[in-house]
Amino acid sequence: MTAQELRLCGLLLREHFGEVVAKVATHLLRSGAQNLRTIIHETGISLDLVKKSLCVLVQHGACVFSSGRKGPGSPTEYRTSCDQILRILRYPRYIYSAKTLYGDTGELIIEELLQRGDMTMSSTVKTVADRLTQNMEEGRSMEYSEVSSTFSNLVETHFLQRCPPMGGAGKKDSATPAAPAAPTPGAGAAPVSTDQPTPESFPDCYKVPHVTLIGRGKRQLSSEDGEDQRNAKKAKMDTETHGDEGIYWQVNFERFHLHFRDQAIISAVANKLDQTSSEIVRTMLRMSEVTTSPTATCTKPLSANEIFRSLPSNYNIPRPILDQYLTLLVDDPMEFVGKAGESGGGMYVVNLHRALANLARATLESVVQERFGSRSARIFRLLLRKRHLEQKQVEDFAMVPAKEAKDMLYTLLSENLVQLQEIPKTPDYAPSRTFYLYTVNQLPTARMLLQNCYKTVANLIERRLFETKESKRLLEKSQRIEAILASLQASGAEPEQLTEVEEMITAPEKQQLEALRLHINKLDSAENQVDETIFLLESYVKSTTAA
Amino acid sequence: MPHLEPQQRAMAINKLLSLGQLDLLRNSSGLLYRMKDAQSTSKMKGSDNQEKLVYQIIEDAGNKGNNNSRDIRFKSNLPLTEINKILKNLESKKLIKAVKSVAASKKKVYMLYNLQARPLSDGGGLADAARDSKQSPMVQRNSSFATSHEVWKYICELGISKVDLSMDDIETILNTLIYDGKVEMTIIAAKEGTVGSVDGQMKLYRGVNSVIQPTGLVRTPCGLCPVFDDCHEGGEISPSNCIYMMEWLDF
Repeated sequence: MTAQELRLCGLLLREHFGEVVAKVATHLLRSGAQNLRTIIHETGISLDLVKKSLCVLVQHGACVFSSGRKGPGSPTEYRTSCDQILRILRYPRYIYSAKTLYGDTGELIIEELLQRGDMTMSSTVKTVADRLTQNMEEGRSMEYSEVSSTFSNLVETHFLQRCPPMGGAGKKDSATPAAPAAPTPGAGAAPVSTDQPTPESFPDCYKVPHVTLIGRGKRQLSSEDGEDQRNAKKAKMDTETHGDEGIYWQVNFERFHLHFRDQAIISAVANKLDQTSSEIVRTMLRMSEVTTSPTATCTKPLSANEIFRSLPSNYNIPRPILDQYLTLLVDDPMEFVGKAGESGGGMYVVNLHRALANLARATLESVVQERFGSRSARIFRLLLRKRHLEQKQVEDFAMVPAKEAKDMLYTLLSENLVQLQEIPKTPDYAPSRTFYLYTVNQLPTARMLLQNCYKTVANLIERRLFETKESKRLLEKSQRIEAILASLQASGAEPEQLTEVEEMITAPEKQQLEALRLHINKLDSAENQVDETIFLLESYVKSTTAA
Repeated sequence: MPHLEPQQRAMAINKLLSLGQLDLLRNSSGLLYRMKDAQSTSKMKGSDNQEKLVYQIIEDAGNKGNNNSRDIRFKSNLPLTEINKILKNLESKKLIKAVKSVAASKKKVYMLYNLQARPLSDGGGLADAARDSKQSPMVQRNSSFATSHEVWKYICELGISKVDLSMDDIETILNTLIYDGKVEMTIIAAKEGTVGSVDGQMKLYRGVNSVIQPTGLVRTPCGLCPVFDDCHEGGEISPSNCIYMMEWLDF
């Protein structure tokens, strides 16, 4: 929990859930686990609002509650962690992946689930079908069964999982009923533990319930706001039961992360070698999707025969060529693929952790290159390879003149990308009798860059908010005019009236609006790009701590 | 020479040494004598012992040429004025030449007339020229590696460098390309006799692409900002009034 992470979490929450929730959550992040009374007292927000904010946070999985530390009788404590909140930054990427994998239906399912936190299958299916029907042509509508089948597909490939039932805290048995009640004090003999059971510790995690959903999506008849409100209220009081009450589904973020990691490895192989090698690696990763645990160092060994059989049919490479490609992949210095045995024509594994380390290293090198120039990048790579070097050796190996080398090394040192290691010859660290060696430590440098990334994203968000605030007046004006136009069109006005209303926005204002739109888009896409870097560095740091 | 007595041998050797016809060397098992070829003896005919000594020192340094007048003085224990006179003499006899040192252009370095200067480690221009030609098809992709020997031959044939480069120099330059991330190297075991192998191994090089595109962080102004650490909301430098962002957004 660093200052940068805190700042970023606050900004993300404020944008997505509003000021009050952001305040409560940042307070919890800063002070650890607290009970309700302390939260109210320290944030100065009313009981009602705090309760609602906590509900929102729990719904989205950002906050967990457990019984107090002082024993079974003490009030529940609430705890947030910034990991879940930082994932909000990545929501667009999740939705886009679902779109590429499962089409529009998948995209909407994931979008709905991300928005609501968790939902039952039946309500998801209904909402998504309605939304899809909305966008289809007149007379066509979406079958519930289609949406259900996409939903089942998502569950089978583990992209969706059941929410763990909210029993009493500290109860590890999975037979507790799915009632989100307050924990019953003293009812459990199990000791109070602060670990939350993971969704995967429940055996039914990926089981699709038998749901009786027959019907089609309903198209909304009018597009007026009032009508929408009434329909929404009606849905809430919908008393149809579909056989899956109390089974809530959430998005399985870890699975998406594994998917992104695989994508990164495949594109790295494609960049370094060629398309066919990347296809082979993609096949290998696809075959080990559900058999490899998330924290594994490498996939399970796959025999060359299996790989040959599982290759996509449009890649007609004969068997000896496949063997050659595999040998090439194994011999590559990046060590994406390793050989684990000879049975079955050769057993091959994908080295996941090593690939992540290489990708993180390439990220660090690219940052140094763009920021300080290619010669500094050369020195940086040299130090990464050769670990500890004296200044003279750096000059010799990198073929950089002495003065420039000194300058560059000192710049890198001041930015903390390079460290100095002193090796004394004498017990007193006399400067003339000490070796000074330059070195680069990959892991601490990666952590530092990760914090810089968080700060960058926070800066981008703040700039976006600032730009919007600056042009608030203009935006409001354009919104009013759009509303007037829409109402005039609906009530069938003449073209002259429409043009008259349109001309209320002057040309320079239009230009300003256009520029503003471009700026906001640029800032948005920049946030997504920095998030890619964040993902790589985070995965690398996590993989080293797990090992 | 078995038919001579040892004393006679010794006398003969001494005479030849004084005439400057023989070179006296020492190796692990004793003293060795080597016949000086006639040409080199004629060179030194007119010089006296001191000049011979200085010449010897310069010759010993080979083509590294790292002895300036101070070094020669140190090695021969002769006073500075003497050394200068001798050097001028030898230069006029065209036995040595002065070459400008790359490191400090004021110093002069002396070496035998018929040798050529070797590039020093900070020979930037030369190395750059050699490296630029490296981007050429010589170091090829994917399936065909190039051995260091082949690269060396190619560069020599190209004739882009004014001085001769040895295979070691080529390998140093290739190493810098590795540190640039443009080339990668593998070592394979090779039989002793194959051309270009050193100690039973051969180094193979090939050109590579980078593993990732420039990363997302550096596509934003914050990734390249020189005052990144000073930037806070509400301060002098903040995201709201950042000039780099303004320029980047209007780009």
